[in-house]
Amino acid sequence: MKTKTFFQFIGPSLALMLVLMAAPLLLTGYLSVRNCSLQMELVKAQESTPFGTHEILSYQARLDADGKALRTCEFVGLDYYRKVLGLNDGAAQNAKTDKPQNEFFAALQFTLIYVFVTLPFVLGIGFLLALGVNNVTQNLKGVFISASLLPFIITPVVAALSIKWLFRDNGLVPYLLSHAGIQIFWMAEAWSARLLIIIYGIWHVVPFAFIVLYAGLQSVPQDSLEAATIDGASRLQKMRYVTLPHLMPLIVFLSLIHLMDAYRVFEPVMVLTQGAFTASVQYLTYFILLQENNPYKASAAAVLTLIGILILLIPLLVKTYREQRRGA
Amino acid sequence: MPHVAHTGMTAHNVGPNTAGLALFAALALGCATAHAKCADITGSGNINIVGNAFPALQHISRAMEACNRRGLSVSFKMTPEARQETERAFGSGGASAFDAAVVSMGTYSVLRSKGQLQSMTDLVNKYRARYNIEERMLVKFNGAVMAIAFMQNAQSFFYRKDIFDRHGLSVPTTYAEMVATAAIIKAKEPNIEFPIAQTFAKGWDSGTEFANLMVSGGGRFFKQGSAEPSFNELHGEHAIETMKSMLPYMTPNALASNSDDVMNQFQQGKAAMGVLWASRAARMDDPAASKVVGKMAFAPAPAVTLDGKIATHLWWDGVVMPTNMAGDRETVFQVLMEALGEDTTRAGNDTAIWIRSVYQPTRFARGVLASINSGGPIWPTEPFFSLAHGEIGKILPEALTGRLTPKAALDVAARAYTRAATEQGFIKASVGTAAAASSP
Repeated sequence: MKTKTFFQFIGPSLALMLVLMAAPLLLTGYLSVRNCSLQMELVKAQESTPFGTHEILSYQARLDADGKALRTCEFVGLDYYRKVLGLNDGAAQNAKTDKPQNEFFAALQFTLIYVFVTLPFVLGIGFLLALGVNNVTQNLKGVFISASLLPFIITPVVAALSIKWLFRDNGLVPYLLSHAGIQIFWMAEAWSARLLIIIYGIWHVVPFAFIVLYAGLQSVPQDSLEAATIDGASRLQKMRYVTLPHLMPLIVFLSLIHLMDAYRVFEPVMVLTQGAFTASVQYLTYFILLQENNPYKASAAAVLTLIGILILLIPLLVKTYREQRRGA
Repeated sequence: MPHVAHTGMTAHNVGPNTAGLALFAALALGCATAHAKCADITGSGNINIVGNAFPALQHISRAMEACNRRGLSVSFKMTPEARQETERAFGSGGASAFDAAVVSMGTYSVLRSKGQLQSMTDLVNKYRARYNIEERMLVKFNGAVMAIAFMQNAQSFFYRKDIFDRHGLSVPTTYAEMVATAAIIKAKEPNIEFPIAQTFAKGWDSGTEFANLMVSGGGRFFKQGSAEPSFNELHGEHAIETMKSMLPYMTPNALASNSDDVMNQFQQGKAAMGVLWASRAARMDDPAASKVVGKMAFAPAPAVTLDGKIATHLWWDGVVMPTNMAGDRETVFQVLMEALGEDTTRAGNDTAIWIRSVYQPTRFARGVLASINSGGPIWPTEPFFSLAHGEIGKILPEALTGRLTPKAALDVAARAYTRAATEQGFIKASVGTAAAASSP
């Protein structure tokens, strides 16, 4: 193929990738090493509101000749990265009991717990569901597939809200448990708050694993299964030596997608606990952007989140790369 | 806009109950009048306005969009991220994506201090008579009108009047009395395990509770005339101790309880008292969601000490226009004033505590009006207050669960705040603490 034709083919997707993926990433990196602030000065003023007129001391931005606020922008290097990671933190000098864990590492810790606890359940339950639906009669398959996909279709915030309403005070689950003499306040302690978010994570993503594995089951080579039957293999052995190896690329694919997806966990943290005991790295970036209103620091947190996900994905990416090479 | 389509939308939003139907009829009437009056608007173009999502704003946004006609297109973006969107748009180098915004006073102080709001004094003078703009609605900074307020809000004390009457309890005027009352209710009412319900959720909610209690106790967030923190001292510690003293009478889920959860606890009859936003009061009598219709009463929030200010803060919401607006300012102003007219207040009387004098307060507004009349403190207007508020709300659960002492938690928040305020230019790097000194 001529170079020109080659570029004509890949040009549109290359351009889209540059504009939609590479450019925002580079811009985030650029923002993370800068800081802009307004020049504030203290002024005495008289302020009238519906609650009366008061003399106040307030800050006011210095304005230029056109009435625009004067901004100072500077290159700050890795300062924001150090701050997010809690390096050179004044708090470090305190006694150990008085120092909370650095919030980035605390968030990273919970995010990793979430990722690695949900993954096996998502794959396991998804696989069992796929096997089950694969074995029911043709008439019922449609019903089962639609029902199983429901949690995945619901918008994450709405899904998280419905889980919250099930588990909060006077919710259905605490009510039913109270009949058995069990009283759990799900959002009151770290273990239960975390468990709740993990339950949400599994419930919400299992349908995705299910539908992918179910599709995979449709293409398991029947001749290999028959050959195994003739060789005297049990059901379990057929599963272990024929079905599972056939599904392996899909399982790697699901793991890859789930790792990326779970690492970005945000909605359940926001909705279920508002971050109590369960801040995730994505939530932290959101918090810095929203509460501190600091896009520069939030960019540094975003870049660190990105580095985290890359580290997490390296083994799976290497495996996929090797398989692609072998395939080529 | 065709009138039929508009009434259809209103009916859908209000619901089928009688009160709803009455409101629907009033809204339809109000909007019809607004529609007729919008004809006076001179000017044309596309006008974009942004604001938060709550019932009163839904009502106002409908009145704004009722001004749509050939050559004049008004669109209202209703989003929970309104604050961020407003700050981004008003602070952008080019023209703002929004010609006006509906903001609460917290956002107003940030925008005003950054020089991003334009004065509306000339427009108010020109249109005061046509729209009957009342003096109380004007938010002025050194005499210049920078915002026009239309509603007020505050937290007030919600309580179960039936339970209080049954046990001869009086409405507490201090938090110590409230805790004592809670102990009595817990002992005497078997169905109420957790008598107090308040918004102690991590973040904004618990930060707000802290602010109420600390200021009521006489504390100050910042050193006089500076952005340096002073909340990490005795008054702050006392505020946290007060919050801790309430915890035994609150659901163990309190650290994740926001306004929705607290409202639910009241509606389900599981809580007997607590301080909550006045705008939630009318929902206590919603038969579709509440088991305590007619049983709740409302009073001013208690104080921390007998001689202290009541522990709540007064808020207002209003409209502002940016310096970098793209549209025609006179047209934008007229659309805003049409929507904030007397008809809008009358038609949506129960959706907010309106500032206009035609507003008729109902029993739901009793608590907040009493709070206003008794001189409750005004929500802090320092542009860096939200930074301190955020850091305190983030660390409070550590202190409430006992993992950190109140002093240690507040010190952590003060350090984090100092860093953030330095990064944004409110504290000069050389003046601050060691942490601030390492800032750019």
